[in-house]
Amino acid sequence: MAARPRPSSDEAREALRDAMARLADGDAAALEEIYRATRVKLFGICLRILGDRKEAEDALQDVYVNLWQRADRYDPTRASPIAWLAAFARNRAIDRLRTGKVRGGAVPVEEAAPLADETPLADMLLVDAEQAAQIHKCLGALDDRTQGHIRAAFFDGKTYAQLAEAADVPLGTMKSWIRRGLQRLRTCLEASEAA
Amino acid sequence: MSGPENTPEDGVTRDDPMIAAEWALGLLEGEELLAARGKYATDPDFAWRKEWWDDWFAPLTDGIAGAEPGDQVWDGISARIAAQQATAAPVALPDAPASNVVALEARVRRWQWVAGISSMAAAVALALFMFAPGRSPVDAPPAQIAATAPMVATVPIGETGLRLDVTYIPESEKMLVAAIGLTADGVHDHELWLVPADGSALQSLGVVAPGEVRSMALPAAVTAKLGDGASLVLTREPIGGKPQGVDAGPVVAKGAFNRV
Repeated sequence: MAARPRPSSDEAREALRDAMARLADGDAAALEEIYRATRVKLFGICLRILGDRKEAEDALQDVYVNLWQRADRYDPTRASPIAWLAAFARNRAIDRLRTGKVRGGAVPVEEAAPLADETPLADMLLVDAEQAAQIHKCLGALDDRTQGHIRAAFFDGKTYAQLAEAADVPLGTMKSWIRRGLQRLRTCLEASEAA
Repeated sequence: MSGPENTPEDGVTRDDPMIAAEWALGLLEGEELLAARGKYATDPDFAWRKEWWDDWFAPLTDGIAGAEPGDQVWDGISARIAAQQATAAPVALPDAPASNVVALEARVRRWQWVAGISSMAAAVALALFMFAPGRSPVDAPPAQIAATAPMVATVPIGETGLRLDVTYIPESEKMLVAAIGLTADGVHDHELWLVPADGSALQSLGVVAPGEVRSMALPAAVTAKLGDGASLVLTREPIGGKPQGVDAGPVVAKGAFNRV
């Protein structure tokens, strides 16, 4: 997993934080800066969830227009700006998937992300490395099967029903597996916060 | 860690933090998703936990390959934002000093928060406030600012989820009416009426423009009656508003002014 700290990443994160603050103060020009810095990452997220370029581009538009309207919702004391934006974009894409605007749903990553190997890492703002290490550690502590289902939900936008069908188990079984996994994940993450 | 769990019966408490986790993961659908959204808006603990999970899951997105969107995406974003800004343009003050704008925006933001008025109405309120004759609001002492605080009425329209946001800024003698979400049916207009707190006769504030934010100048006879407790009613009328010599149409919505 590629959370590699680079000399420039702190600067990029600070520039983004600054642009977010200006946007919240009503500076519409800050939006273009934010777009330039984050579009590759956020579009990658939308594309992965929605599996359709046109849908993902529409979703991406909504993300930034919505951001412009509601920039004051971002709390800089709480999350890094790129972490917040990534969650914001993913939530919008999932909403789109769940409100039935999209027929197909997510497709395998090979189709969904044609630029996979061509996108220079330097163009992508990464989320805080320490935080990244912790969630990977806690996820990795789950059994492989549970971990796989949680990842499929996160990366491909799968529902309980889809996961149960793919695994050929009753819906209740899948829910129970994932909920137990989430409970363990929470315990592990909270322990890391207390440490 | 032990092997895979095979017993669906073993109890996992599906409490709020668990539902927040399922939501953050994207697992909720239909009614449950709607319920979670409602809870997010009203329950700070639940909202906190949802964001807690979002924050923790966010680094996983570093594992998703980036991709370059088409150029038309940014063009679309700019166009949509320009369109929204243009709605506020008729009353915008182009040569407003930038520092005033920034200082006032913070206030507008607070009004928004208090009153839940639309951001567009707030933007227009800002522009109007700057028309306030003969003084700079930025230099005003706090007491004076409090005295000129805008008054806001939210007029929900039945169970439709639509509403009128009416903002009156005392010094400007102008009022903003935002009828966002209301659409014209081609047969009726809606007319807004002031119901003075002193029980005197209703005064027409004019026909509401569906889907728009309009500012209207108020005659002194009307502003004299505008105070805390004054209320508003919206009636359905023929196109053009209530004809002379005819009773007003049915009341479709009502609301009251509050100072914010």
